[in-house]
Amino acid sequence: MSIKSLDPRITREQLPDESDNNPIKELHQWQTYEVFHQSKKGDRHIHVGSLHAPNAEMAILLAKEQYARRYKCVNLWVVKTSDVFITDYDDEDMFEANQEKMYREAGGYKVMDRINKFKTEHKKN
Amino acid sequence: MKQLTEIQTKALKDLICRIADDELILGHRNSEWTALVPILEEDIAFSSMAQDKIGHSLALYQLLNKLGEPDPDAIAFTRKEKDFKCCHLVEYPIGDYDFSLMRHFLFDKSEAIRFDLLSRSSFEDLANIAKKFRGELKYHTMHADTWLVQLGNATEESKARMQSALNQCFPLALGIFEPGEYDEVLSSENIFPGEKVLQGMWLDSIKIILDSANLSIPDIDTSDRSYGGRKGYHTEYLKPLLDEMTEVYSIDPNAEW
Amino acid sequence: MYGGGYIFEESKNGHSEEEDQIKLQKFEERIAAGEKIEPSDWMPAEYRKQLIRMIEQHAHSEIIGALPEGTWITRAPGFRRKLALMAKVQDEVGHAQLLYSAAETLGKPREQMINDLITGKSKYSNVFNYPAVTWADTAVIAWLIDAGAIINQVANSKGSYGPYCRALERICLEESFHLKYGHDNVVFLATGTSQQRQMVQDALIRWWPPIMHFFGPSDKISVHTETLMRWKVKMASNDDMRQKFLDMYVPKIWELGLTIPDPKLKKNNETGKWEYTEPDWEEFKRVINGDGPCNKERLAVRRRAEEKGEWVRNALLRPSEKYTVPLS
Repeated sequence: MSIKSLDPRITREQLPDESDNNPIKELHQWQTYEVFHQSKKGDRHIHVGSLHAPNAEMAILLAKEQYARRYKCVNLWVVKTSDVFITDYDDEDMFEANQEKMYREAGGYKVMDRINKFKTEHKKN
Repeated sequence: MKQLTEIQTKALKDLICRIADDELILGHRNSEWTALVPILEEDIAFSSMAQDKIGHSLALYQLLNKLGEPDPDAIAFTRKEKDFKCCHLVEYPIGDYDFSLMRHFLFDKSEAIRFDLLSRSSFEDLANIAKKFRGELKYHTMHADTWLVQLGNATEESKARMQSALNQCFPLALGIFEPGEYDEVLSSENIFPGEKVLQGMWLDSIKIILDSANLSIPDIDTSDRSYGGRKGYHTEYLKPLLDEMTEVYSIDPNAEW
Repeated sequence: MYGGGYIFEESKNGHSEEEDQIKLQKFEERIAAGEKIEPSDWMPAEYRKQLIRMIEQHAHSEIIGALPEGTWITRAPGFRRKLALMAKVQDEVGHAQLLYSAAETLGKPREQMINDLITGKSKYSNVFNYPAVTWADTAVIAWLIDAGAIINQVANSKGSYGPYCRALERICLEESFHLKYGHDNVVFLATGTSQQRQMVQDALIRWWPPIMHFFGPSDKISVHTETLMRWKVKMASNDDMRQKFLDMYVPKIWELGLTIPDPKLKKNNETGKWEYTEPDWEEFKRVINGDGPCNKERLAVRRRAEEKGEWVRNALLRPSEKYTVPLS
C-alpha cells in the first residue's frame, strides 16, 4: 500500500504507508561556500550567506537563484568557507580606537584658534 | 512587417501556439519538483526556471490574444487536449532527477536557439518577446550544461543514469522539430527559419556538451522520432496533466480566481 | 513561513556548573546591552543547545511548511495564481536553506538536522501536519499562517544570535509578499461567487484551531522560559503574540463577512485583550508527537527526497573536500 495524498504529486511518488524511523545511514555533505553579492557596478561586494555545493562552478550556479533571484545583482563571488581566514572575537580589543592616535585623524588637527589669535595680534600692529 | 495576410496569421499563430504550449507544459511538469528536489539549493534554482517557462508561455499567449485568440487563462485552462500543440517530450512525467535534468538540457538548448532565431524575426512582437527572455535562457542553459558535464564525468552510477536518460529523451526531443504545416511561409516571410534549421543547430550545440559529458548521442537515423504532438496527437500523459492543472479553474471558469 | 510554538527543552540543572561564571556574566551583560552574539563567541552550552533546537525547528517548519501549499501547486487556477504559488513555495524552500545555514553555524551539520527530522527526533511547527483540503486552504494558509509567522519572526529578528537575526531579516522581506498574496487570494474568494465564498469559509473553519495553536501553548502551561527570554532566544510570550495576531487580523477577517468558528471570540474593551475559547492543548501535544492527520506523509516525503538525491550527492562528492561549518 502506498500513501494516497491530497497532493497528486505525492500520490505519484508511491510512498510506503508504514512509517520508517531509521536514519539515512551515511551523511553525505558537500562543502560550504560563502556568497558575496554586488548590487550594482561601483558598489562593494557584500557577504549575503552561505550554501552547500560540491565545487565552485556549482556554487555559483546555485548561489544565483538562492541569493540573487529577488535582489538586483550584477556580480557574484563564491569562496570556499575553508579558505576564509578570520580573526578571533576574543581579540576584539585589538581593534579598539586609541584616543592617543589623534595624530593620524583629521580631527586631530585644529588650527583655527591659532589662526584667529594670529589675525587678532596682527591687526593690532 | 506589413499587414499580415490570412495565411501568415495562421502560420504565426500555429508557431506561437506550439512554442507556448511546450513552455507551459514543461514549466508545469518542472514545477512538480518544487519542494521535492533532492538538493535544497537546487530546488530553488529548478523552481525559478519552471516559473520562467510559465512566464514565457504567458507572454506568448498574450501575443496570441493580440492576434485575436481568447485571453491567456482561457487558452491555457479551457482548451481540449487535441487543441494543444506541444511535443511529446514535455508531456512525460518527471521521473527521477536524471530524466528531468536531461529533458531540461535537451529542451532548453532548443529553446535558447529558437529564441535567438526569433529575436531576428520580421514579426516584431515576437522578436521583442524573444529578446526579453535572452538572459533567463542563458542561465537555463548554463545550469543544464554544468549539471550534465559534472554528472557525466562523475561516478559509474551517475554516468549510467545520464546515458540512459539521454537514450530515453533523445527520440522524444526530436519531436520538438516535427515539421510544421507552415514552415515554408514562416521562413519565406523571415518570421522563423523553420524546424529543420533549428534541429541542425540544436544537434551541433548539444554535441559539444554531450561530448564533454562523455555521453554518446543515439543515432539520429535509427531513432524513432516522436512526432504527432504538433498536430494534436499526444501521449497518454497529457490528458491527466490537463485535468489536474485545470481542476480548480474548471470549478467555475467564469469566476475570478 | 515559520514554525510557531517552538518546543523548548526544560533544562535539568540549569546551565552546567562548570560554565565559567565570569564569562557567563559578561555574556549576559552583552546581551542586555543589545549586542549580538556571533558563532565563534563564547556562549553557554544551554544557549547553544536551545538555539540549535529553535532554529532547526524553524528550518524544518519551512521545508515541511512548503508541503501543504505545495499540494495545490499543479492545480492553481490561472496564470497569476500559478506563478505566485510557485514563487511562494519556492521562497519557503529558500527560507529553509537560510535557516539551516544559521543553525549550522552553531555546529550541527545540515544532513544531521535532516536526519533528525525524518526520524521524528526533532520537531516542526504543528500546523503543517494538517491537510490543505481545497484550493481555499492554500489562500488561508498563505494569509493567516504567514501573518502569524511574520509576528513571530519580526520579534525573533531582534534576538541575540547574529546569524539567526540576519536570516530572519531577509525572510521577513519575502514574507511580506506572501502575506499580500495570501490576502489577495482570500479576498478574491470571499468576494467571488457563492461557491468560492463557501470554499474559503470552510477553509477558515478548518484552519482556525491550528492557527490558534500556532503560537504555542498558553504561557500558563508553557515550559519555564525566563532564562531564554533573558538571553533573547525567546523574544515574546506565546500569549502576547497570539493577542497581537488577533488584534491585527480578526478585524480583517470580519470585514470580509467571514465567520470565525469561536463563539467566545471578542475583544474585552476594558482589558484590551481578546477573549477566546482555550485551544485544545491536548490535541496540540498529540499532533506534535506524531499523531496528526499528515505527520506520516510529511516525513515520508522528505525521506523520499533525501533518498532520491543520494546518487546526485554521491556523484559530486570529493573525499578530499571536507564539509566546513559556514561562517555566519
